Amino acid sequence: MEKIIAKPGDLVEVHFGKVIYEGIFLESPESEKGIILLKLENGYNIGLNKKDILKIVTIHRGEDKEEKSEISKDNKKPNIAMIITGGTIASSYDSKTGGVHPLTNPESLFRFYPGLFERVNVVKVEVPFMKFSEEMDFKDWQKIARTSEKLLNDSNIRGIIITHGTDFLHYTSAALSFFLGKLNKPVILTYSQRSIDRASSDANLNLQCSALAAISDIAEVMLVGHASEEDNFCYAIRGTKVRKLHTSRRDAFKPINCKPFAKISQDTILKIDGHNLRNNRKVKLDLKFNDKIALIKLYPGQSTEILDYYAKDKYKGIILELSGIGNASSKFIKKINELSNKGIIFCGVSQCINGRVDGLVYSSGRKLIEAGVIYLGDMLAETALVKLGWVLGHKEWIKSKEKIKEKMLENIAGEFNKRLEE
Amino acid sequence: MEKIDYSKLKFKSGLEIHQQLDTHKLFCNCPSVLRNDEPDFLVERKLHAVAGESGKVDRAAEYQASLKKTFVYQGYKNSTCLIELDEEPPHEINEEALKIALQIALLLNCKIIPITQIMRKTVINGSNTSGFQRTVLIARDGYVETAFGRVGIDTICLEEDSAREVKKEGDKVYWNLDRLGIPLVEIATSPDIKSAEQAKEVALHIGDVLRSCKVKRGIGTIRQDVNISILNGNRVEMKGVQDMRTFVKTIENEVLRQKELYDEKTPTQAEVRNALPDGSSEFLRPMPGSDRMYPETDLPLLKISREFINEIKKDLPKLRSEIAGELKEKGLSEEMIKLILNEDKIEELKSLANIYSNLNFIVKMIVLFPKEIASKENKTFEKIEEKIIDYYGDILRLLNKKKIGEGDVKDILINIVNGKNFEEAIKIEKADNSEIEGEVLKIIKEKPGLNANAYMGLVMAKFKGKINGKEAMEIINKLVKKK
Repeated sequence: MEKIIAKPGDLVEVHFGKVIYEGIFLESPESEKGIILLKLENGYNIGLNKKDILKIVTIHRGEDKEEKSEISKDNKKPNIAMIITGGTIASSYDSKTGGVHPLTNPESLFRFYPGLFERVNVVKVEVPFMKFSEEMDFKDWQKIARTSEKLLNDSNIRGIIITHGTDFLHYTSAALSFFLGKLNKPVILTYSQRSIDRASSDANLNLQCSALAAISDIAEVMLVGHASEEDNFCYAIRGTKVRKLHTSRRDAFKPINCKPFAKISQDTILKIDGHNLRNNRKVKLDLKFNDKIALIKLYPGQSTEILDYYAKDKYKGIILELSGIGNASSKFIKKINELSNKGIIFCGVSQCINGRVDGLVYSSGRKLIEAGVIYLGDMLAETALVKLGWVLGHKEWIKSKEKIKEKMLENIAGEFNKRLEE
Repeated sequence: MEKIDYSKLKFKSGLEIHQQLDTHKLFCNCPSVLRNDEPDFLVERKLHAVAGESGKVDRAAEYQASLKKTFVYQGYKNSTCLIELDEEPPHEINEEALKIALQIALLLNCKIIPITQIMRKTVINGSNTSGFQRTVLIARDGYVETAFGRVGIDTICLEEDSAREVKKEGDKVYWNLDRLGIPLVEIATSPDIKSAEQAKEVALHIGDVLRSCKVKRGIGTIRQDVNISILNGNRVEMKGVQDMRTFVKTIENEVLRQKELYDEKTPTQAEVRNALPDGSSEFLRPMPGSDRMYPETDLPLLKISREFINEIKKDLPKLRSEIAGELKEKGLSEEMIKLILNEDKIEELKSLANIYSNLNFIVKMIVLFPKEIASKENKTFEKIEEKIIDYYGDILRLLNKKKIGEGDVKDILINIVNGKNFEEAIKIEKADNSEIEGEVLKIIKEKPGLNANAYMGLVMAKFKGKINGKEAMEIINKLVKKK
């Protein structure tokens, strides 16, 4: 067959054996370069093997549709700002290519969710980058924090909503909790588990509840999302105590070892737990970070070579996801002891997710404490990793191991809960 | 009713038939069973309007969204999973359902589409938790022959059924998730149909093809829509025209409705109407736009290999009309053929025919008798059949050896149903002929001058089924003549 000159979006005639198909020419799927996709008049897409196509005739060129989206402004409503960073909540099906892509014009997000504007006036939309959350690193957290600082110190803005991919959202929420310090206004992180082109998308409720949280008096970094499988309530959950616990459900994020700040419906906020109150302070960033850190999950029969690797590569600190209440095999204890003496910081959390580690219950735990492991109580492994990087980023704190330990055990952003009720 | 001149009215019509397949669900492993027990849980959801591919909000979708409903979904722990709840991406398409759909496509002379894409059709009346129905085009360009000429089959799609509406309470609509995801084959004919009678013939033929494959049976398992336009006007989709008794009347009424609008110079609206039991119809919703299809991005392209198609071609089920012809040749009466096809007992008949040669009697034994017993005992056919099915072979062997007569078989079955073991059940208590003769003579003496049938009634009442009717009649005839 001759070279295809049709472009995605064109109306074409495909001569395929004895049959002629008419339809909209679509982009081939990434993994199916030998196939062209055609959207027939009845709306169905079919695939045709390129090698069996005799010719493709373009009937007329597709038009580039400029998607216009006007944000509806209403000065009587409280002002909020939004930061869009990518993820499912800012991706949509592209009819021209036939795939799901990040929105080229992120503001078009609002076209899908007019409900967001019922209570708030979105005065600013910032787009520092467009990434799926699994692509992010600490530099992206710093970018979001810088953007947030500017908005938080703008007296015209009541609160901010950050939309984000779900996979590593709880790392970002922990990072912002440490980077932004004591807050003056709500910082909401929200998401969707269902893409926004579907009528069932969870983003609708998540955004509406986020809007309510953003104008509330809860001056904290918090994640707002579905409280259950139902479209009636969201939870607002502390940024350092939240974890993705389901691959696909709407209520994927759960508070761990704590209660949510609040239960939010489209029109009410029901407070559940204490929080920092809205105030007039200026927010001061603390973005220091050292990324020579690692998170290791222990498993049966595991070799200790992985620790040697990190030591050789000059890693400064390692979070260990210990077994149960805080144990490790004797060969691991020996290796940790050796490397701890060489200056690597080891911290222990539990791979059970729920509950706190306690090194005094078994002899294995006591030996780990002797070897220098800092037991981080009920802190989540992901939060611990972020906090360790943040603490080790501070030159004034890393002069002594005692100072590091003190900082790791200081309750800076609600990462510890002294009272576990469930 | 006035006679309709279809060609003068430029009548154009096509059928759309939806048939449930008899497999587990299309995109998950839940069983396809409808339930009437109380649900284990309820889930409340909202849907919102979405922009279609062109960026415009679908007219029909907008219409639905304007209703601002809350949807309450009813589910069961052991037959509803996260997929029906729109909480997990779909699994790969159910291969058995695909195979059955391809059988149907081949029986309707269609061409299979070897590479195709599973699509999402936006539906936001709440009948799908996701806000769309998954559907895939698997074949096109087939045909059926009718007495009035060939009718094309445009497309055959495999899709998931919607949830089942249970009730409406204020702004809440309750849906049961038991039906959501049951595989459906959608057959759309070309608008080649020229009269209501031809439409009926096409519907019956497609029905015959469907029932020869592994499809669900009974009320609600097949739904039939008819598209109708006249005088080059807009197309109207009539939903739920599956009752073949009112089929022709429904179409005629719609033609007259459109004709009346035409005469009043009111353009016919492109709309979806619901067929009512009396043959009339009511407005349901405006016709959805063509803008509402986009790909199911959670699944890869569906590829149907030549090997898979060839394997299906080798083993295509026989049409019911073919089977009926064969059975007729073997001496089965029309009535019995109808019974055996309706109850799907062809396989049983075939194997029992190896034992006993009177096929009409076998059908009586395996269909008619269990039905009669079931209605007398107020139990289901299946419940009765379950108790007697294992004895059919033994009974027929006894018949062959003339140990029992055909007239005894129903009583034997009743005995088995009543819990007797087989040895006991075949001992039919019989009045002997001299006893009957004595009794008949006595009756004639008591009530002289009646005709044979009247005596027959009295005799049968006396013996309450313990005698063979045929033999009794012979005796009565003999004795009445003697008088």
